[in-house]
Amino acid sequence: MADGALASGHTEEDVDELARRFGHHDEDLDHAFETYRVLRSECPVGRSERYGSFWFFTRYEDIYRAEQDPQTFSVSPSMLLPSFGNKRPLIPIDIDPPMLGKYRRILLPSFAPAQIDAVEPMVRAVARDLIDKFVTRGHCDAALEFARPFPTLVFTRMAGFPEQDYDRFQDWVDRIIYLRTHDSAETALAADEIVHYFLAFREQRLQEPPRDDLVGKLLGAEIDGRTLTAEEFADYCFLLLIAGLETTAWAVRASLWHLAQHPEDQLLLRQRPELVAGAAEEFLRCLAPVQAMARTLKRDVEVGGKRLRQGERVLLVFGSGNRDGNVFDDPDRVRVEREDNPHFAFGVGVHRCLGANLGRRELRVALEEFIRRIPAFRLETGEVPPWWGVGPLPITFGKPVRSGGPA
Amino acid sequence: MRVKVNGDRCQGHSRCRVLAPQVFEADELGYSFVVASPVPPELEERALLAVRNCPERAIFIEEERPMGSEGPS
Repeated sequence: MADGALASGHTEEDVDELARRFGHHDEDLDHAFETYRVLRSECPVGRSERYGSFWFFTRYEDIYRAEQDPQTFSVSPSMLLPSFGNKRPLIPIDIDPPMLGKYRRILLPSFAPAQIDAVEPMVRAVARDLIDKFVTRGHCDAALEFARPFPTLVFTRMAGFPEQDYDRFQDWVDRIIYLRTHDSAETALAADEIVHYFLAFREQRLQEPPRDDLVGKLLGAEIDGRTLTAEEFADYCFLLLIAGLETTAWAVRASLWHLAQHPEDQLLLRQRPELVAGAAEEFLRCLAPVQAMARTLKRDVEVGGKRLRQGERVLLVFGSGNRDGNVFDDPDRVRVEREDNPHFAFGVGVHRCLGANLGRRELRVALEEFIRRIPAFRLETGEVPPWWGVGPLPITFGKPVRSGGPA
Repeated sequence: MRVKVNGDRCQGHSRCRVLAPQVFEADELGYSFVVASPVPPELEERALLAVRNCPERAIFIEEERPMGSEGPS
């Protein structure tokens, strides 16, 4: 150990191994934050052999610079690694400028802050209705009964996707997001099903009177003097479906995962609900649903002393940038009162998450309602479930105090 | 203190509108603009918080130069 030991206490061999095996999904996320810490200090720009081999950037500044240079760091063929099984680029995330801006402009007004202000009452009603179903029971699966259905119901209503297809949407999310690392054939099958579903859905909607939902906006949109093709419509809906459902579910679940284990933070937010908005930002910084996104180099570059070649893949590890001690004090601690928090949970640069304003509002409202209605809660089992993903989160809590009841 | 949003850099995260709503507003596409510049002294702290929370580094402070109106020199 002594000879090759680095400042972090790891040997050079350890760090090489960590870099070569670096991955950003599933069980790799169990120990991601420690991995990030070592890589940021010992190998901030490195190369992994996973997923067909890619470079990774783990420092905040390198990620920021790459995201300000979309000409060099292209999203073609896809920013997803591994892919969602789609045969064509997803819209808008897999599109480079200048087409990117044209696609985004179609839905930017629907996700602008004033529009999100207008849908907040609906968002809050969805959260309340879900909580009503388990509030008197004293325990629940906070993922299955709250974190997952909440954004699904909100987003299907906003988008105009048929609510009765809820189970199919969840099944697709599971197969796209969580099987892509293990079973790419199954993921490709799910991707085909999604595209066919939305092609048929488009035909159906075109027969109906126009509606003012996201689907209606896509159907009515014009770019370069033409309407969207059927494929463009399906590829846009595909992205909206996955992005609108899974990421917010993860963020809500991860926030409750933290709070269930930190009664002091629960207490603080109960006493000072005005802190929930900032706490939500902190949960996004530390436990973000999107830990990394990929790019492809359009030219040779040198970053962090490494020569990167045109055509190579680069993974921008937002989750690591979010814990960079050069930007955040005490970076590995969740501090719900943190004020300076320019994190990259929604990305940065021209690909900033289109639905960020909605996602943020959903998370804040979900936490406000959960904390207001559900008394002190904790994990139901001694075993701590993973922080990542949308898997079960069984929690237990006392029955709510009824007015007039015993103190 | 004067603040400016660089429209080329702003990507519409709206952190500034949340943190200092009396200083920043968002247009119909979600991009931010300043509604109170110079920033009233009681809002300066909030405006600076918005600057520090902008992930795009799109907000700039312009310190006002002391002018003749500051008083007799």
